[in-house]
Amino acid sequence: MSTTSDPAALSQETEQRPGAKTRVGGLNQHQMQEEDDIETVDYKMVTFSLAGKDYGIDILKIKEIAKFSSFTYVPNAPPFVSGVYNLRGDIISIIDLRVMFNLPAERKPEGSAEDGLILRLDELMIGVVVDSIDKVVGIVSSRIQPPHPIFGDVNIQYISGVVEKDGRLYIILDVDRIFAKGKSTTEEAESLSAVVAPETSAASDNIDELKQQTIPGLDGQSSGKNEEELDLEFIREGLGTFRGFYPDGIADSWLHRRYSEWRAERKKQGLDVQLTGEDDADNFMRTFFSPYSNRFLGEDYVEAVKAVLPEEVSKNISVWNPGCGKGYETYSLATVLRMRYPGHILKIWAGDNDLLSISTAPNLVFGADAVPTLYEPYLVEAKNGYSFSSEIKDAILFEYHDVTHTSTVPDIDIIVARDLMSFLHPKQQASVFNEFSQKTSTGALLIVGQNEHVPESQDWQHVGTSVVNAYRRL
Amino acid sequence: MRVEYINPFVESAYNVLQEVLSVEITRGELYLKSTSMPVLGVAAIIGLAGDVEGRVLFDMSKDTAIKIASGMLESMEMEPIEELNDMGKATITELANMITGQAVTKLHNLGFKFDLTPPAIFTGDNMEIADTGVEALIVPMELPFGKIEINVAIRERN
Repeated sequence: MSTTSDPAALSQETEQRPGAKTRVGGLNQHQMQEEDDIETVDYKMVTFSLAGKDYGIDILKIKEIAKFSSFTYVPNAPPFVSGVYNLRGDIISIIDLRVMFNLPAERKPEGSAEDGLILRLDELMIGVVVDSIDKVVGIVSSRIQPPHPIFGDVNIQYISGVVEKDGRLYIILDVDRIFAKGKSTTEEAESLSAVVAPETSAASDNIDELKQQTIPGLDGQSSGKNEEELDLEFIREGLGTFRGFYPDGIADSWLHRRYSEWRAERKKQGLDVQLTGEDDADNFMRTFFSPYSNRFLGEDYVEAVKAVLPEEVSKNISVWNPGCGKGYETYSLATVLRMRYPGHILKIWAGDNDLLSISTAPNLVFGADAVPTLYEPYLVEAKNGYSFSSEIKDAILFEYHDVTHTSTVPDIDIIVARDLMSFLHPKQQASVFNEFSQKTSTGALLIVGQNEHVPESQDWQHVGTSVVNAYRRL
Repeated sequence: MRVEYINPFVESAYNVLQEVLSVEITRGELYLKSTSMPVLGVAAIIGLAGDVEGRVLFDMSKDTAIKIASGMLESMEMEPIEELNDMGKATITELANMITGQAVTKLHNLGFKFDLTPPAIFTGDNMEIADTGVEALIVPMELPFGKIEINVAIRERN
């Protein structure tokens, strides 16, 4: 390592070459030809493996290769910080890259040493723990290809490139970005907000555009059409005011369908089309809700959910169920996943901002007739009826939580948010969808309500059936 | 915030306040907050660590703090205070300690392990508190002396 960490020596060597060129032109030409054939190695990296894949880090960033044993645990540190380590008198922090990238880590027996690297980033020294160190690989830097979105394990912004050498594909990590300090994180946050901001403004532009499109259309067309469009506009407002329901951009097709039904219904009854109060709003929204709202999912629905669940999942399955209400949906989900993936470690974060509903969720008790038979193996008799066994209960964490606030859930494999987005203010919808994308990686599943759809985005692809409306993360 | 944590804090705040002040107390509607919020003037803070990380903040106006401290001191047959002196501050800190202590004991009995940090008190005008990455549960308590807001922000260690 000492030879490579001496860039001065390298540059001296290269400085001499031009001199040689001027002196003996013929020789130099020959030399250049040879170089083209062999291709000079101008980039060396230390390679290692994480979860079975090969990764590399620029050797100039690496101080040494080390074996770590006995870290000192630091309270209140983020989960990926294994602790601090005494490196011959210097105290350095140790970061577990596998935890940081949410990759499965082999559990080594207590007290045995972990393979790792010590990185030198400006003045900062950091130790990283990896599965195993491979070797030093020299490559030609021009052969490095830009990262491809397919490498879903590691967030793409942390990859500086991909290179092939001797039939193996190495992902080169950009350690400066991974361990960026204060300045660059704010930059990142800024760039993040810059990414978010145009989206939201684009969304409002779209709405404006829509309005502009409809309004000139209205002027030109018959008064009947004009009235209909205006009524729909009023109904939209009414739904927002009375029930905090904003289907725009989330459930458009349902809204239009329901609106024509509603018009006919009300005409027949001799009533005004507009919503006059909460009762009217509830009546209008009657057909919106997904099947089995506030009930245990029935067998038909459970089968449909199983059909969209991925074949391959990691050992630890993390599920997020915001807007879980009294918890019926969450318990059903826990049961379905337990049946579908036996032997996996299941963790469900369920939250709701309705204090009364969520307070009853952890100790939900119900009559035997309220449960379809498929749940029976997981039920236990409670004082006033039945409740779920600890096997199911322990997998769920119920939280009093508002989905529009910052969330503490870790990276998630499955999000179930049925009939939730439509009840958020349009301004919040974009940021919550953004959070969904941030908390997931390729292959993750998002289930939304039957009449809802995820706005056009590069992140989510529709994979659902007519019953279960699901999207897969790209 | 985990559902199981809510009740112990609400109950112990109610019990302790009633016990030490012997006055009528009404509990306001609980709600969640995630952005920064103003501090009324006097804020006692206690950190939590263990299975969770977080803190509990007891927030009240200076006037309320003086009245509560005086009430507590009088109930122990001590001189009431006129301004928020060291004795007053120590009394408010102790109140925060009692409430949090009782809540943590209740949680311990439910199987959750928490540790407390020594309480600290902040006073001043125009203060704000911001918690990044965690949302706070606000438990408002109405007393004849004014309002105490108990602001609990806890998150699980992942």
